[in-house]
Amino acid sequence: MFDFVPVSLGAIIPGQVPDPISLDFPWLTLSILFPIGGSLLVPFFPDEGEGKQVRWYALGIALITFLITVGAYLKGYDPSQEGLQLSERIEWLPDLGLTWSVGADGLSMPLILLTSFITALAVLAAWPVSFKPKLFFFLILAMDGGQIAVFAVQDMLLFFLAWELELLPVYLLLAIWGGKKRQYAATKFIIYTAGSSLFILLAGLAMGFFGGGAPNFEFTHLANQNFGTGFQLLCYGGLLIAFGVKLPIVPLHTWLPDAHGEATAPVHMLLAGILLKMGGYALLRFNAQLLPAAHAQFAPLLIVLGVVNIIYAALTSFAQRNLKRKIAYSSISHMGFVLIGIGSFSSLGTSGAMLQMISHGLIGASLFFLVGATYDRTHTLQLNEMGGVGQKMRIMFALWTVCSLASLALPGMSGFVSELMVFAGLVTDEVYTLPFRIVIAGLAAIGVILTPIYLLSMLREIFFGKENTELLAKRELVDAEPREIYIIASLLVPIIGIGLYPRIMTETYTASIDGLVARDKLAVERIVNTSESKNYDKTFLPSTSSAPKLNIYSSSGY
Amino acid sequence: MLSPAEIAWLIPLLPLFGAIASGLGLIGFNQRINRLKKPVAIVLLTCVGASAVLSFAVLFEQIFNPHTVEHLFVWASAGDFTLPMGYVVDSLGAVMLALVTTIALLVMVYSHGYMSHDKGYVRFFTYLALFSSSMLGLIISPNLLEIYVFWELVGMCSYLLVGFWYDRDGAAHAAQKAFVVNRVGDFGLLLGILGLFWATGTFDFRGIAIGLSDAISLGSVPEWAALGLCFLVFLGPMAKSAQFPLHVWLPDAMEGPTPISALIHAATMVAAGVFLVARLEPLYSQFPLINLLIAIFGTITCFLGASIALTQMDLKKGLAYSTVSQLGYMMLAMGCGAPIAGMFHLVTHAFFKAMLFLGSGSVIHAMEEVVGHEPVLAQDMRLMGGLRKKMPITSSTFLIGCVAISGIPPLAGFWSKDEILGQAFNTFPILWIVGFLTAGMTAFYMFRLYFLTFEGEFRGHNEDLKINLLASAGKEKDEEDFHGSGSIHESSWSMTVPLIVLAVPSILIGFLGAPWNSSFAKLLSMEEASKMASEFTWSGFLPLAFASVLISCAGISVAYFAYYSKKIDLHSMVVKKFPTINTFFAKKWYLDEINEKLFVRGSRKLAREVLEVDAKVVDGVVNLTGLLTLGSGEGLKYFETGRAQFYALIIFGGVIALVALFGVLGN
Repeated sequence: MFDFVPVSLGAIIPGQVPDPISLDFPWLTLSILFPIGGSLLVPFFPDEGEGKQVRWYALGIALITFLITVGAYLKGYDPSQEGLQLSERIEWLPDLGLTWSVGADGLSMPLILLTSFITALAVLAAWPVSFKPKLFFFLILAMDGGQIAVFAVQDMLLFFLAWELELLPVYLLLAIWGGKKRQYAATKFIIYTAGSSLFILLAGLAMGFFGGGAPNFEFTHLANQNFGTGFQLLCYGGLLIAFGVKLPIVPLHTWLPDAHGEATAPVHMLLAGILLKMGGYALLRFNAQLLPAAHAQFAPLLIVLGVVNIIYAALTSFAQRNLKRKIAYSSISHMGFVLIGIGSFSSLGTSGAMLQMISHGLIGASLFFLVGATYDRTHTLQLNEMGGVGQKMRIMFALWTVCSLASLALPGMSGFVSELMVFAGLVTDEVYTLPFRIVIAGLAAIGVILTPIYLLSMLREIFFGKENTELLAKRELVDAEPREIYIIASLLVPIIGIGLYPRIMTETYTASIDGLVARDKLAVERIVNTSESKNYDKTFLPSTSSAPKLNIYSSSGY
Repeated sequence: MLSPAEIAWLIPLLPLFGAIASGLGLIGFNQRINRLKKPVAIVLLTCVGASAVLSFAVLFEQIFNPHTVEHLFVWASAGDFTLPMGYVVDSLGAVMLALVTTIALLVMVYSHGYMSHDKGYVRFFTYLALFSSSMLGLIISPNLLEIYVFWELVGMCSYLLVGFWYDRDGAAHAAQKAFVVNRVGDFGLLLGILGLFWATGTFDFRGIAIGLSDAISLGSVPEWAALGLCFLVFLGPMAKSAQFPLHVWLPDAMEGPTPISALIHAATMVAAGVFLVARLEPLYSQFPLINLLIAIFGTITCFLGASIALTQMDLKKGLAYSTVSQLGYMMLAMGCGAPIAGMFHLVTHAFFKAMLFLGSGSVIHAMEEVVGHEPVLAQDMRLMGGLRKKMPITSSTFLIGCVAISGIPPLAGFWSKDEILGQAFNTFPILWIVGFLTAGMTAFYMFRLYFLTFEGEFRGHNEDLKINLLASAGKEKDEEDFHGSGSIHESSWSMTVPLIVLAVPSILIGFLGAPWNSSFAKLLSMEEASKMASEFTWSGFLPLAFASVLISCAGISVAYFAYYSKKIDLHSMVVKKFPTINTFFAKKWYLDEINEKLFVRGSRKLAREVLEVDAKVVDGVVNLTGLLTLGSGEGLKYFETGRAQFYALIIFGGVIALVALFGVLGN
């Protein structure tokens, strides 16, 4: 049933992706199919209509899914391996080249864990949902499986299917349970994402059929193909648009404030916590891993776009008066660091990008959950209509403060480590010229000033100052309940854990990232050697003689 | 027996555990914990007290046997990059550890009295413990990056504590301002640290200094870049130690409770900048230009703080600008290449300024009994006067503080300030003149504070004045706020004991730094101490010392005649003749206005414009292109009626059709 591919340890040919390692237990298939299967049973689950029973069922399924992914990580995943692990292959439609191929490497595994973790918390966050609860939990669970599939599948066509499949639940969750402008927001979301995903299909087909013969869409196959540079550039451009919408990259981001602005808290957590990461993951998986020659050309663009993201979205967030949209823009700003890290050609920077995705997944989810919890009490998202709320809701105030501080990259929490790694990766990166690095680091660091401006202003307007008498007259402000504290605490444990000792997270993927970056660097080297391209060669040193000076102090003495 | 330095990592951890325990308690069992005031205070005091004992053990060990203990572990790694963290204990750190734990402990005892009726008592103690922990961590950081970590954490504690009374608008704004202005400095610090890492491949203090000079001599790092990086790093201390022009946050931070002003905004956190410059001495000493810049910024700050303090009517604001000015002196010392003199002033200043702030807190506490909790009234010296007879302990310790800061021998301030002025005289004579004049101003404004507060007639019952003061602050009288007894009395033991304890070092500690036999210098660096002792001549020391005592006495006399015996009318003599200068000082050099107009409103306007562009242009264009690709108006209707999933289904269906097609063809 499962192909056992011989394990190639030891010498890895440069430029080649190592062979997958398979396991005798289908962990990943199970983690994809179990929640989907569970969701299909939701309609038959007895419920009195208020969702009081079905939510326990959904929570159970989500927790078991989380345990399955944890099991996969503990039993079948070896962080020191660079290539695919937990690999499963079943020929599905051989003539089409469609294979059920799943697996996980350092790029996938942390995000799979993140997905099942955030989904379980989102189910808990959806406790008060009483409108069509069965449909709601059905969609959430289906999405859980779909999203794990996005990160786990190792076949381009399957990836496309999973990517599209995940759109429907999100669309429905937005359109049925959203705010006042939910139809508009849902429509915009689907137009943007579905429209842009055409490029994935086109690029995927082109890559799968490349070189004639039977089509093969598997990543391991594609990674070892010798695509021409022109072909790579075309595919890269198309994919960049598709993933740029998802991440999002300015100026393709305008669906996000609308979608996030209308979504309910649990959907919101999923959108910010996982959906945005699909864009970053796909950029790493396809653009950086499968198309290294094009990546070498496009990377500076990624970095520039990343800086634009950071500053532009921070400014728009500052001006926003709607709480949800404010946080939505802050997500865009934080994703800028992911872009810079991916474009940096250094293991440190790319690791930072990966960590930033995980970290933002946790912090973004916590902030969006708090927005929802606050809205439940104030019934308004306009900052003008709040004020002095902290006197009635003291625990809520404390939770908000901690999560905002996490979001503004306070040391001791995960956001700081990831941003620091991106910065350090960028400045020590010998691929780019010194002036370019200086300008980019300087501009990106402006985000360090802008982030506290908008986040602390937000806290001040919600919680500080005299109590808003109009609001108090209309609403009863109750403090956070244990369920809410529990959700935030669950998110804070990994946030602070990573912040205190980042290696617990970074060690799970460094091997894969190192391999990826090494291949991308080879591609840059090839460009420098073959053509006299003036873009990079000024400070680039071939890897044999690369920067011996750099390590004198960091490696000796400790 | 285990050497104290080997377990020095416990020093920041003990208060941290205390803070975590009571913090979790506050979140989990808010009301129950809030009732347990005394037990929580005792637990946290024990934690900080244990740290203090350990710190003194470390200090004594360093006194008898100066050596450096360093332990590191790999905190993060990627590729060939490793980032060690850990702790280091040396004599400089040991001095700071002892200083911070002592003052933190005393401030906690004091807070027990000061905050006893506050409903946020437990939260306050939790924050205090958290701050102590971060500050102690900063001191034992072995490299720049770890310093940055704790640098941000003390900034966060400052944010939480300035905004402690979060129902006050002023506190909310001040807290945010403090954090954001410090982030502007951190922006430079972070870039500087990253740049130095690029240039030298390490974050370690000595490694950076050696690496940078090697890199310059090899030519791999240009000189201008090295200078730029050093200056960027200095931006951090500039914000944290309230140097011009990033000092604007410190006076506003007085919105926080007074024990905080004493601990964070006078004695410890604001000194972190000076401490960092001292740590980076091996780096900065290579670049005379950077040292000159530091000295110039220090001098400007020193003069600016003193000049604004001349006109302040708010007791705490007056002390705050005095702190700004004294921090300027410390930076001046650092710029003159005399870190020992700067560190010595840091230590003496920490004691007497903490005492002065705690004394002002005692005064404010008493005033609140008469005028209510409105800070505009309780802190205004126009309503005080004649408090000496009613508050003997507070007034005498405050007087000791004033004498000490004015530089009258043999109190602490004389020795440390004179050392700085002497260094400046030898290095930058022009800057010495400014520092010298500022010494006179210092004496004047400090005694002005003393006379206005403690001498003369009590003016707290003047209702017209109160109404005027409230009106000029744009506030209304809040009758409900008043719970006072209506009479002034001395504060409780828990507030007066710390004052008395702090008075001892304020008087005596100066002798440790006597220039001919400085035990302080011997502790920090044997070489420097012997150099100081050998260069010392009475003929060089006496004229300068005599001059500074003279100008201080002049300042005190002017204050005496103007505010005590009322023989000089400064208003008609000075204010009317030079109205521009007076308004310039009273308006704080217009820096707050510039800040407000240029940066606050500017950034808001820019942000609004960007959002406008985002909503109209970017969204518009992308929407349009999105629609165009969809083609006909027929399709549009689908989306507007909310059936856009149709679109996704088309693609999805397309793929399925493709799959089916191939499946059929294949067979």
